[in-house]
Amino acid sequence: MLSYNRLERRASTLRRLFTMLFSNRIFTLGFTLFMTIIIISLIGNHLFPQEFVRVGNFLPNQPPNLEGHLLGTDSLGRDITAQLFMAVLNSLQIGLIAAAVGTALGTIVGFMSGYKGGIVDSILRIVIDAFLSIPSLIFLVLIASVVKTVDVWSVAMLLSMFSWANPARQARAQMLSLKERDFVYMARLSGMNSWEIVIKEIMPHIFAWMTANFTNAVLWAILTESGLSIMGVGPQGEITLGMMIYWALKYVALFRGLWWWWMTPVFTLIYLFISLYLMHLGMDEVFNPRLRNKGG
Amino acid sequence: MASYRKYLVERTLTFIISMFFSITIVFLVPRLAPGDPIKTALEQVIVGGGSEIEKTVEEYKRMLGLDKDLATQYIFYIKELFRGNLGYSIMYFPTPVIDIIMRAIPWSIGLLTTTTILSWIIGTFIGAIAGWRGEGSRFFNILAFIALGLYVIPYYIFAVILAYLFGYIIRIFPLSGGYTPGLMPSLNLEFILDVIWHSTLPALSIILSSLGWWFLSMRSMIINVKGEDFILMAEAKGLRKNRILWKYAFRNAILPQVTGLALSLRNVVGGALLTEVIFAYPGVGYLIFTAITNMDYPLIQGAVLFLIFTTCFLNFAIDILYPLVDPRIRYGEE
Repeated sequence: MLSYNRLERRASTLRRLFTMLFSNRIFTLGFTLFMTIIIISLIGNHLFPQEFVRVGNFLPNQPPNLEGHLLGTDSLGRDITAQLFMAVLNSLQIGLIAAAVGTALGTIVGFMSGYKGGIVDSILRIVIDAFLSIPSLIFLVLIASVVKTVDVWSVAMLLSMFSWANPARQARAQMLSLKERDFVYMARLSGMNSWEIVIKEIMPHIFAWMTANFTNAVLWAILTESGLSIMGVGPQGEITLGMMIYWALKYVALFRGLWWWWMTPVFTLIYLFISLYLMHLGMDEVFNPRLRNKGG
Repeated sequence: MASYRKYLVERTLTFIISMFFSITIVFLVPRLAPGDPIKTALEQVIVGGGSEIEKTVEEYKRMLGLDKDLATQYIFYIKELFRGNLGYSIMYFPTPVIDIIMRAIPWSIGLLTTTTILSWIIGTFIGAIAGWRGEGSRFFNILAFIALGLYVIPYYIFAVILAYLFGYIIRIFPLSGGYTPGLMPSLNLEFILDVIWHSTLPALSIILSSLGWWFLSMRSMIINVKGEDFILMAEAKGLRKNRILWKYAFRNAILPQVTGLALSLRNVVGGALLTEVIFAYPGVGYLIFTAITNMDYPLIQGAVLFLIFTTCFLNFAIDILYPLVDPRIRYGEE
């Protein structure tokens, strides 16, 4: 009976969270924009055969036309529409994996640091700060340039290396403020062990914060992937939004009038960033009541 | 002062640990990677091959101390680092890596310092006016919306779009390089104007992307300050609106902006890597890019380590100096 109640309570927390989120106009707008491009890309990627993105499959440099190449073809003879769908999914995959690993790892480290306190906390805090002060893009450029054959999966793993520190710092602060609350004392008195307390009592309180953080991490990972690709150390064998820009720049699409080639990934990235940022902004408004009714 | 001492110790430890970690990774990664990077790189440079390549590889390894075991190499590497030796470039053999980096550094620092300060000034002043006018003004609301867009879009996207607009459509700015080839770098007016002309587009891409943030933060600071009692008092005294804004509200709202400016100066060396790549601007970012294309590992390693060091050091310096400048800053979190 007790566990049923707890389940019920958690389900209703989630439901309340979603109701709150979707009653926020900014979040709903961002979410709709975001889901739209994902669904279109999923369907599109399914419809287009793999050959469409193979080098030399079509006449190169065709401008957008209605006879098969809605967004034209690039100098390598690949269809840009098919590339775009694939790139959106790959970039998103990188973003989601890196954000998931980073947020999960960061939360665990932050919780441990904040909950244990003492010497563990001191050490972990310095390590977190050290990771935060290292410029991640430059570091990743070095590693990716040596590893050379990176794919979508390994880029995601590389990015996770740097996406955990920020959530860790925040999780630690959250834990510090939560662990002194009455309901945590109550749980401890009733004989729950540390991990039970963290998972059953504290987790529900920071779930909202984790979602907001996750969105931010996805944005960061997509942004950094593009950066790595433009530097020439992206997943060369695969198609991501960053790699599309890389090839367009490499084949001087900018100054040969092949606008459809470089504009497609560039404007898709802008679209993705704006939709993710709107989601983040909306979450901020919902979860940080202090921000409401305030300018800025 | 006791708490500042504790803070100082913590910051120093953080700096040492991040540098130690970085040096170790920069040292280890190429050595643990599959294949022989030096051989691959040399094969690209030297045409012919055969025993000549083998000999060069051996010689090169001896020069770098790569024929010894890992621990000895590591100690040797750190020793050389302290002497300012980052190894020798393969592309420009036998130029020391540090010399090549030093040639690129002024370009990066020059570009970023100028753009950071310019965008800060523009953003802060427009933000102050926008905040003062409040949320009633339609013009400034649209401006805030645009600023949000500028803030979200990364600088390299601006770089690509600017290159297309002003390099290809309207050909008024050069598309690559730091100055016209053939011009002798010197301190005369012609050269300086040429550099400014070449730097306009790269600079614009950075200014545009950082402008939004300065605008938004100043705007919300002024909106906050506007509710304070001393502003009401100033209004009650019958002071002119402009005087209240610049002498009262602005002066109180400027401090967090100055903190922000100080914090953003940490990126003054490595903050525009991708703009440099897109415009082939002769800074450190473009240097790393060309080193990657030519598989010049010692140069990549050296430049990366140099950028990490300067960023971490600036970070550290700002962190420990700023509380002395502004006593209101708290040390750490407690």
